[in-house]
Amino acid sequence: MRADARLLAALALAAGALLWAVPFAWMAVASLRPGGAGAADLASLLPSGPFDLANFREAWTSGHFPLWYCNTVLLCGGILAVQCVTISLAGYAFARLRFPGRNLVFTAFLLQLMLVPPILIVPNMRTLISLGLYDTLLGVMLPYFASAFGVFLMRQTFRTIPRDYEEAAVLDGATTLQIIFRVLLPLARPGLVAFAIVSVTAHWNEFLWPLMATSSPSNQVLTVGLASFTAGAEAGSEWGVIAAGTFLVAAPLLAGFVLFQRQFVSSFTFSGIK
Amino acid sequence: MRLLHVATIGAAIGFGLFAGAAEAATDIDLFFPVPVQGKLANEMTRLVDVFNKDHPEIKVTAVYTGSYDDTNLKTHAAIQAGKPPAVVIMSANFVREYVINDEIQPLDPLIAKGGQTPGQFMDQFWPALRQNAMDQGHVYGVPFHNSTPLLYYSVDAFKAAGLDPDHPPATWAEWLDAAKKLTKRDGGNTTRWGLMIPGTYDYLGWITSGLAMSNGGQFYNPDYGGEVYYTQPTTIGAVRFLDELVHKAHVMPEGVTDANAVTTAFFQGRTGMMVLSTGSLSFVRDNMKTPYRTAFLPRNLVNAVPIGGASLIIPKGNSPARTEAAWTLVQWLTSPEIAGGWSRFTGYFAPRIAAYDLPAMKTFMSEHPDAKVALDQLAYARGWFATYNVIGVRKALEDGVQAVLSGKATPEAAMAEAQKQADALMRPYVEQTALKLPQ
Amino acid sequence: MTAGLLLLPSAVFLLAFTYWPVVQVVIGSFAERGFRGATHWGFGNYARLFADPHFGQALWNNALYAAGTIVPSVGLALLFAVGLRDNTRLSAALRTLVALPLLIPLVAAAALFVFIFLPGGGLLDWYLAKLGVASHNWLGDPSLALGSIIAITVWKNTGYYMLFFLAGLAGVPQDVVDAAKIDGANAPQRFFHITLPLLGPTIGFVTVIALLNAITQVDHVIVMTQGGPSDATTLLLYYIYQQAHQNYDLGLASAATVVSVAMLAALSLVSLRTLERGIHHES
Repeated sequence: MRADARLLAALALAAGALLWAVPFAWMAVASLRPGGAGAADLASLLPSGPFDLANFREAWTSGHFPLWYCNTVLLCGGILAVQCVTISLAGYAFARLRFPGRNLVFTAFLLQLMLVPPILIVPNMRTLISLGLYDTLLGVMLPYFASAFGVFLMRQTFRTIPRDYEEAAVLDGATTLQIIFRVLLPLARPGLVAFAIVSVTAHWNEFLWPLMATSSPSNQVLTVGLASFTAGAEAGSEWGVIAAGTFLVAAPLLAGFVLFQRQFVSSFTFSGIK
Repeated sequence: MRLLHVATIGAAIGFGLFAGAAEAATDIDLFFPVPVQGKLANEMTRLVDVFNKDHPEIKVTAVYTGSYDDTNLKTHAAIQAGKPPAVVIMSANFVREYVINDEIQPLDPLIAKGGQTPGQFMDQFWPALRQNAMDQGHVYGVPFHNSTPLLYYSVDAFKAAGLDPDHPPATWAEWLDAAKKLTKRDGGNTTRWGLMIPGTYDYLGWITSGLAMSNGGQFYNPDYGGEVYYTQPTTIGAVRFLDELVHKAHVMPEGVTDANAVTTAFFQGRTGMMVLSTGSLSFVRDNMKTPYRTAFLPRNLVNAVPIGGASLIIPKGNSPARTEAAWTLVQWLTSPEIAGGWSRFTGYFAPRIAAYDLPAMKTFMSEHPDAKVALDQLAYARGWFATYNVIGVRKALEDGVQAVLSGKATPEAAMAEAQKQADALMRPYVEQTALKLPQ
Repeated sequence: MTAGLLLLPSAVFLLAFTYWPVVQVVIGSFAERGFRGATHWGFGNYARLFADPHFGQALWNNALYAAGTIVPSVGLALLFAVGLRDNTRLSAALRTLVALPLLIPLVAAAALFVFIFLPGGGLLDWYLAKLGVASHNWLGDPSLALGSIIAITVWKNTGYYMLFFLAGLAGVPQDVVDAAKIDGANAPQRFFHITLPLLGPTIGFVTVIALLNAITQVDHVIVMTQGGPSDATTLLLYYIYQQAHQNYDLGLASAATVVSVAMLAALSLVSLRTLERGIHHES
């Protein structure tokens, strides 16, 4: 009886998890099935041949995927590079230094967790325009150069590192910057990696802000490009091509996840709980 | 220090890349709103390549900007950022708003250089297109590709329902009757609908205005951007007719169906008829496996359809050199050969009358009777509604019609609400124009 | 002094792109601009905002959306975490399936779900038809559309929250659970009396994150429904987007932004403690 209940629960869980994968399964099947506009078995999840790569070819040639990949990588990389500096410095200040109003300043920092750029699009666009950075990738990156989340995470990570290391470095005459970047950061690697994964995932997937802050095709990122696949003006949708395009957008992170699953999972959980 | 180093290099590369884009005097950009998937975007890119090869002194970059509404949004943002695009393929009925907001320049001086008056220039285009392209006698837009709502129907479904495919419904009464015969039910489930229309934003307003016009109405004040007629009997009647199709005759699905769902249903044989733009002709031709035909949008009182599609505009704030180059591109894109080729490729009809005198076009029209219907319907076409705050004003109507399609409101109540909202959106303009007393 | 210098780089960007914009929208919300008219200062934008039925609808939709996404996604995440926590290959594989959606952009999820929700021929209706269920207009029926948008969000976020719960579960001391087992507590009892209370901080943390997502993410609305049909899927942020970029009504957009920012600020003050507790829980 108890074994039955347990089996039933396990089956229900497995069924639920499989249900979660259905959209991906359809994406895979539909992207390989030719003639995706009006076939009767469009919705079928069962792979039935003949398969070909026509949808991928069409998606690839009608979009600017190499450029979009390049821009997205630049965007994520640029944001992350600057963030690493800003959050390490501020994280150290909050973790190790005593100064008046520390808690107040820290709370002010954390407000950014809530006041994310999408909600402040209107004034932020104006700022970009007055800086002459509207329609540049740099403009898209700027609001993210400071990260309350990252500061928080680095503060927590630094706190777990025993002070002995720093004290030894101080005796050797190291400056504060040297302590942060030569001594603490190598020890804070798990925190940094966790932050990197969360940050890249967030900005790889972001849509509204890059959509609004850029207009030239040379500045488009993957999500903005993909949206153009789905928003047809006066024609109908070629579902196979859309599925292929979606696959191309999602593939790098999905592959990363499958390959480095352990790292990903521990990063996401680390970022939340440590 | 390594990380810091990497970051600095990254930032330096970033700054260098984005600051380094060189500004040549004849670099111009063209914003265009066609669906990127499928062949239209590729064809546009190809055309621009041809242009660039023929005009070494100009370099055009084609910028895909999404739907018509998105293109409008992007163009506004770019103008406000002080980076106006050189040429935009803008939904024809948005042009007036740019005139009202003083963001667009009249093309008269450029036309005059070619030795023409604005009137002579517009005479080269089909009469129905002139209204949306001109304002107070000045030319602001050059029609590029245009469309009207068209009735598409499946020949097989017609035959199976005992209807004659050679005599498609011409009046609302015949239309309703055909839709009833085409609707096939299996228990509580409808396996084939009589009719489907796209109910999403932009499309729905266009089709509703078509029904209002074929009901004898005007829908909006063509001479003034501060008035729409949502509560007039002609509009109410049109919305009642939609309500009838959905909730009394049950020949059209309830709620809002988007254009992609409509075409997919048509291809799969799950609707016998659909109303769609002439601009979708090529897409339907390529994907419909069984025979289909096209017909005029059925009338209640008169044959009438609104013009859809887009005009080329040149926003203000471009340098004289860019404006000159933009005008060269506009003239090239609207030449009979290019406009005709684009028309054959897409299904939009060519706005240039002369395009239809070309041999390639004559052959095409004789081979494709569905395209011929679209062209013939042009005789009954009128300008589409153009107002201040046009997208919001249109959405007010669409929200109302959607509520009716979903059975959430009566046509009268929904249209009264739509009128109220549209009036509120146009009020700032109306107060400064029609209601402003001389001081 | 050192602290000031270390905080400076972050502070510059926070000032420019978080605090200054808030000041700007507050100022902008009091500026009333007509067409070609002079600017007046006053509460007119707020008066118009609160009189606008679309705004009321957006608030209501957002409340429904928040409740409709948070409860099922947090609940399911907890369920998946508890059920799939063991280290077998099967569990790991199933965990991956549930977590995958968190890696794809919301617009990509929306692109897939546009087809899944296609009336009649779409994935959902096609399979439901095999079970004899009549077709539904998932995105086009105002009474279903918000539910469909909610379903996408639940699908997308459950895996993310599950990861937090997995970490939280790892922190539940095994000896306490074993002791309860010896005392004869069955699995549900052990879950409700030991695991759940210990997961309290994590649940609080996840709930705040979920609430934040419910207010700040509208990509799928932009791609799939544009707030329709008849305003059924207009969320707060989409309303702001619409006022600012479609009606060019910056006064109304600013006033609406101020209202959302005030709500978010209140939420953050209340929840910072929860967040910190959740994050500290293990250390």
